[in-house]
Amino acid sequence: MSPPPPRVCFFPPQCNLNPSPKRTLYFEWWGGSGPPHPPPPPPMGLGPGVGAGGGHIKIVGPLRVFRCLLRGWDSNPGPNGCASSRAAGGAVRERTGSAPRVEPEMKGRAPEVTLSGAEGRSAAMAEESKGGYSEHDDRVGGRGFSGRRKKGRGPFRGKMYSEMNNRNSRNRGGPPNARQRPEEDDGDVAMSDAHDAPRGRYLPYGPRPTRAPHLTVRRDLPPGERSSGAARDGGRRNWFKITIPYGKKYDKTWLLSSIQNLCSVPFTPVEFHYDHNRAQFYVEDASTASALKQVSRKITDRDNYKVVIIINSSAPPQSLQNELKAEEIEQLKVCMSKRYDGSQRALDLKGLRVDPDLVSQSIDVVLNQRSCMMVVLRIIEENIPELQSLNLSSNKLYRLDDLSELAQKAAGLKILDLSRNELKSERELDKVKGLKLEELWLDGNPLCDTFRDQSSYISSVRERFPKLLRLDGHELPPPIAFDVEAPVTLPPCKGSYFGSDDLKVLVLRFLQQYYSIYDSSDRQGLLDAYHDGACCSLSIPFGPQNPPRNTLNEYFKDSRNVKKLKDPTMRFKLLKHTRLNVVAFLNELPRTQHDVSSFVVDVCAQTNTLLCFAVHGIFKEVDGKSRDSVRAFTRMFIAVPAGNTGLCIVNDELFVRNATAEELRRAFVMPAPTPSSSPVPTLAAEQQEMLAAFAMQSGMNLEWSQKCLQDNDWDYGRAGQVFTQLKLEGKIPEVAFLK
Amino acid sequence: MAASVDFKTYVDQACRAAEEFVNIYYETMDKRRRALTRLYLDKATLIWNGNAVSGQEALNEFFEMLPSSEFQVNVLDCQPVHEQATQSQTTVLVVTCGTVKFDGNKQRYFNQNFLLTAQATSNSTVWKIASDCFRFQDWAN
Repeated sequence: MSPPPPRVCFFPPQCNLNPSPKRTLYFEWWGGSGPPHPPPPPPMGLGPGVGAGGGHIKIVGPLRVFRCLLRGWDSNPGPNGCASSRAAGGAVRERTGSAPRVEPEMKGRAPEVTLSGAEGRSAAMAEESKGGYSEHDDRVGGRGFSGRRKKGRGPFRGKMYSEMNNRNSRNRGGPPNARQRPEEDDGDVAMSDAHDAPRGRYLPYGPRPTRAPHLTVRRDLPPGERSSGAARDGGRRNWFKITIPYGKKYDKTWLLSSIQNLCSVPFTPVEFHYDHNRAQFYVEDASTASALKQVSRKITDRDNYKVVIIINSSAPPQSLQNELKAEEIEQLKVCMSKRYDGSQRALDLKGLRVDPDLVSQSIDVVLNQRSCMMVVLRIIEENIPELQSLNLSSNKLYRLDDLSELAQKAAGLKILDLSRNELKSERELDKVKGLKLEELWLDGNPLCDTFRDQSSYISSVRERFPKLLRLDGHELPPPIAFDVEAPVTLPPCKGSYFGSDDLKVLVLRFLQQYYSIYDSSDRQGLLDAYHDGACCSLSIPFGPQNPPRNTLNEYFKDSRNVKKLKDPTMRFKLLKHTRLNVVAFLNELPRTQHDVSSFVVDVCAQTNTLLCFAVHGIFKEVDGKSRDSVRAFTRMFIAVPAGNTGLCIVNDELFVRNATAEELRRAFVMPAPTPSSSPVPTLAAEQQEMLAAFAMQSGMNLEWSQKCLQDNDWDYGRAGQVFTQLKLEGKIPEVAFLK
Repeated sequence: MAASVDFKTYVDQACRAAEEFVNIYYETMDKRRRALTRLYLDKATLIWNGNAVSGQEALNEFFEMLPSSEFQVNVLDCQPVHEQATQSQTTVLVVTCGTVKFDGNKQRYFNQNFLLTAQATSNSTVWKIASDCFRFQDWAN
């Protein structure tokens, strides 16, 4: 459709946009000015056999893995990208079809009107309503809705409709649609001077203190009611709306994790929100929905109420509809990058919908639609989380619900321009009050006219943003501050912590040996690494972090999450005890290849009799159903001394999760360890492990590390010794360290 | 079979200690931070994203400068630590995973692990943290 998007850059052109992620390791081989120490023994054999001289390699300075500060753009449309392949016409119809259902400021009135509105729509799976409480799709349901709308806001809406321009040029060829949303109606006119009239119109609907402060837009009409886009439902899976009556009183995380704890399958709640007293979210398939249904009345809250869960089939949630297509998102990125001023960390999205670039490509970015705002926020989060100033003026925003996550995505935001929008109530500001704003612009919004005088306006805004210094360009009296400022900065994160160089050598060598066997085709060799009375268990996460699409099924049956698993017998059974059981268990786990260079180690505790350390890293599965799946793991080892400097594992706890997109990007970044210039076509697994460890320790790239090992007949110790010597003499070229 | 019965007792004890501990620890962390270090041994060590903090005073200082938090634990596993490693002092390995939102920061996933030891005093037994190791899953970002 559209030409491939040009490369996008939020950074000054001189910046390198896509440096390959690098790991820079700082250390020196022990040796100083004296003669090299004796080489380490070849890295074979575990436990008591590990031996003679530990500590001949002294590693100075922390092992640091620097992150790539400038990350390339990721064109990945994100987790919701699945919906983006829809036909353009369908998208337009959806959008326009959905529009009238947006119902700002109507919340408080909704219930009494609505419970009768959609009585006939109870879905097959709906649980019986309790005590006269109907959980049918009420507010926006069916035909009752449009009647209600006419009744409630007829005159206002009618006027707006009649004012509407036919802007078919924007509709990507879609049919003219008389139901176009009023909020989208202007556009090309200069927005700066077009707002007196709307403000006048809105006055009759000024602030109504009794209304509930939150708004929710839902779109779950029966299919027939929606526009007839054939593309819409084709190939879509079933969606179900999950409703928890009175869920408003529960904390979201408590509620979701309580449900997940009892739910037999992991689920991903989509678009969790509160609607009146209810909590609602969507799940994608019938089996999940029915599993959730089983959880109804199984959870008891603090007040001893049973948590009821009601299932209704529904249209796909709104955030998955109206989605911009991947190429449109790319264009939006281009557009946003042009509007970003890196020196000020300022993003100017003023009047985004009439951006010439977007208009010329018929891309309709309407920021008062949730899906569009979500895409914009995602682009901000992924590319410019350091954002300090955001201009959203002249975007017809009439509510700020969709900005509620802004504080999380751009925690450093200080300046927000919301001027010349359609915000009618000061209470909208509550949704963004998590922002630590210093400067705010609100002029040109109806809400500004609702205050008696300037001081009540200022104090109302300051109530939400106590640290505000400027409002609408005017300096405010200094904020009231006491010197009890709570900290908001975290200590910097560092790489591995070993405690001492000796431990570093010991642990790294142990891990190299351990994982060379663990990654082999037979893990029986690990028998030597475990104590007779060793125990071992495995755990995996659930919920949003473990979406069902990319399951850890092969680990599920062994997962010992005692937060979820209450049966003492199962708890006991899933803790593998004694050496033979442990190794037999490990042998059953999927075959793996670990990315040794991804390892980060924390030595947590050390006594004369105990060494406890955590290993974080990445591996991929090399056979079975999930072949090539990349996982992240955290593994706790507790070991006792064995032999001279060997370790014998007594406790082993393995936590496995799916790798994140960022981890996937970084995983196995080292090229396949067989450079074409290499005289050895392929390396044995053992040699690959050794190579990875050598590259990690020496800081040299793989090619040079391999050369060094080959020249020394794969004698790890001798290679290290030679490396140290040559490095001391300054004979290793810089190129050896280029990765 | 006696040995395995014994081991099951240890496992049950470890689970009870871990469950109780996790409730208390994160509740204290979020709501009564000041009391948090009382859960640690005098010589306990915390490795926080690669930063080592050791001893009551340093721990106090560290937790004071840490922004206020909202922890949510999703995964909990625990094991009795082998007696040979602990010189027969009852010790439990506790492993957790979940989310944390530090004030002014976005919510992040974390992994954390503890070694808890049962300290016998004159008339009761009190469990204390001997070591604590915390890391964000996306610490490198």
